[in-house]
Amino acid sequence: MFGPVVIISASTMAGLGLLFAGLLGFAHTKLKVEEDPEVTEIEDILPGLDCGACGYPGCNQLAKAVAEGEAPPDSCVPGGEEVAEEIADLLGLEVSSEPGRMRLAVVHCGANNEEKNRVGNYEGVESCRTAELTTGGNMKCEYGCLGYGDCARACPFDAIEMVDGLPRIDPDNCTACGECVETCPRDIIVVEELDLEGDFVKVACNSEDEGSAVREKCDVGCIACGLCEQVGPDEVFSVEDNLSQMDYSGYGDDADFAMAIDKCPTGCIIRFPSPQEASETD
Amino acid sequence: MELFFIFVAIVLTQNFVLHYFLGICPFLGVSDEMEGAFGMGIATTFVMTLTAIITWNINTFILKAFNVEFLEYVSFILVIASLVQLVEMFLKKYLPELYETLGIYLPLITTNCAVLGLALFMVLREYNFVESAIFGFGAGVGFTLALVIMAGIRGELNEEDIPKPFRGTAITLLVAGLLALAFMGFSGLVPT
Repeated sequence: MFGPVVIISASTMAGLGLLFAGLLGFAHTKLKVEEDPEVTEIEDILPGLDCGACGYPGCNQLAKAVAEGEAPPDSCVPGGEEVAEEIADLLGLEVSSEPGRMRLAVVHCGANNEEKNRVGNYEGVESCRTAELTTGGNMKCEYGCLGYGDCARACPFDAIEMVDGLPRIDPDNCTACGECVETCPRDIIVVEELDLEGDFVKVACNSEDEGSAVREKCDVGCIACGLCEQVGPDEVFSVEDNLSQMDYSGYGDDADFAMAIDKCPTGCIIRFPSPQEASETD
Repeated sequence: MELFFIFVAIVLTQNFVLHYFLGICPFLGVSDEMEGAFGMGIATTFVMTLTAIITWNINTFILKAFNVEFLEYVSFILVIASLVQLVEMFLKKYLPELYETLGIYLPLITTNCAVLGLALFMVLREYNFVESAIFGFGAGVGFTLALVIMAGIRGELNEEDIPKPFRGTAITLLVAGLLALAFMGFSGLVPT
């Protein structure tokens, strides 16, 4: 019923297959690599996102580093406390957590849709990167948020929502992985380490234009007047490159920002929600 | 002399990557670092040489003998896949760092069309055993050469201020094209 060709073909392939399977099987026993079972277990606990926020290329490399004791068990940023505790349990280690500080992406622009001053129309692809590359967008301000939401799309954790032309960062979901920082063509988003006890305050401007130029382009931009340096908490604000910048490492829960926020003539020093406040308003 | 011409032809004038445009995936994928590029080249050379030797035997003593030449694709792929597995095990055991560097591109040698192309060209051109072995080894050397040159150029490119729209893949493809053009200068080196 079968032609001879079919039988020959089938037996040829079966023979070759068996031959190579045998060879590989033999090689496997000879060249077997003993993988540390701990590494596999740690990798199972890790979220498997390969986001790179820990500083290693992927979860597998981090797992190895943790197993070898090179990295602490709480290295995984998106995994947070739960993952850290599970890994610590597995390895019989204590989580050396440093309470009170968190890393968070901070948006340095405060111009919402109404406050963005436009010149002409931009009808291109709805992407900040495209807009910046082609026409530079249609904003008067060359530093401000274009508002097309590339960062929101890049965020692997759904922590960014575009509200009224500005990204709003959900501090509960943000893991400070830095994807948005990479994505933003205007470098508006910066990852900062903040004190959980202190006030969550930021300079909502990124413009390095001189004061008069900023006034012309935007109503809520930093004009580098330097008032915040004088009335703000000691050594927190400093004006460099025509822009007020904050040193987040320098203050704790006793710093008082009321004066700085109140006196800023363009109102670009603003509070933004800390994780507690964010969960309270929900 | 014949053998020497086969070798020079496949390394320079008919380089798999730069003349036939086979195996572009690893050519662009692993040519960003010299170390990885060289390792990839060596691994591929190993696979190519053995592929040539083994497939020649299979083709001559099994497929032709039994008149089942239509099995060449499937049996060649079997050989290549097995060899890649072997290389992978070997690297994982003895050169774990290189194994990490090559990453996904190592198992992808299986689907590297240059390797299958090599086996098929060999049958098409009716090479004998020694010619096939030289051809396979030469193909690997040519592949390594292309990869290493590319890695060198890309290493230099990293230092350069490239216009924004050309950064990344764009400039890499441009360089690949220019490199292929440069390799055309070798044509005529081997009498046909």
